[in-house]
Amino acid sequence: MKPRNAFIALVALIAIAMGTWTSYRLMTPPPAPQTATVFPAATALPEFSLLDQYGNPVGREVFEGQWDLVFFGYTHCPDICPLTMQTLASARRRLAESGQDPLPRIVFVSVDPERDTPDLMRQYVDYFGDGNLGITGEPDEIRKLAGGLGIYYEKTAVVDDTYTVDHSAIVIVVNPRGEFHALFGAPHEVANFVHDLPIIMVQKQ
Amino acid sequence: MSREFPALALVVLLASCSAEKAPLVASDVDIRKPVPGMNMSAGYLALTNNTSRPVVITHVDSTQFGSVELHESVLEDGVSRMRPLGELTIPPRQTVRFEPGGKHLMLMRPAIGADTVTLDFYSGDTVVLTVNASLQD
Repeated sequence: MKPRNAFIALVALIAIAMGTWTSYRLMTPPPAPQTATVFPAATALPEFSLLDQYGNPVGREVFEGQWDLVFFGYTHCPDICPLTMQTLASARRRLAESGQDPLPRIVFVSVDPERDTPDLMRQYVDYFGDGNLGITGEPDEIRKLAGGLGIYYEKTAVVDDTYTVDHSAIVIVVNPRGEFHALFGAPHEVANFVHDLPIIMVQKQ
Repeated sequence: MSREFPALALVVLLASCSAEKAPLVASDVDIRKPVPGMNMSAGYLALTNNTSRPVVITHVDSTQFGSVELHESVLEDGVSRMRPLGELTIPPRQTVRFEPGGKHLMLMRPAIGADTVTLDFYSGDTVVLTVNASLQD
């Protein structure tokens, strides 16, 4: 092949390769969450007045400035609540190991504020890792926050003076503007959070 | 004779295994330490009934916990509910699993500083199984 023809062939090959790559990029959709439900329009959290695990007052502004994974439960729940908190802590640890930035904060909101004092909440959320937030306080204020996020809960008598609390088991994703952005339905798997959260947390905020 | 002996030995060995097999066996035992500050935790295990009759567990006792109850978590329409099981029947030759998010032992009022636990599984007034285990984080 003459040098001129070889040059033309090379240019043609490069042009074909670039065209193929461009059309592949245009036709391939961006990665999508596999299990989370992301809302087309995030909604503001309701106003509330509660306490963190140190007894400091917190309102909805406590959710601004970082991504949050919010789970509603109660410390006297021996099975589902520690299981979910462990799942969230494991997912966060795996995201950290993979270099994910930002990392979400884990927030545990009590649906049993009569028993869950700030001191109990502190011991509970600290057990599952550093930087977690626990929220408790007046039952009416818990009801405001839970109601605004579609969280159902209800006390159920078990025996005599003991009770359990039935509660929604979803995990809510709150974006750094303090808005209800997405949710994960139960049962929860570490792999689902590890796959979906990096995608959710780079979506338009 | 030399061919019959191994076969005979095998039969004797199987008979001996069968005779030694406990009627109720626990495996995959995972009894959790309470979260600091909490007065309850959960226990998980598998119970295998090696007999040809159902085994009914009526209650469980432990010297390291004030009470032990058989509970079950169920997820209905996205809502987690926890209910006492009452009695638990393990069908003949079957295994019932206690696992996170399902059946579990609810262990309440732990003894201070306990690192191990002894669980007595009762059928009526009779202890049908005793499980000793270390408490897990």
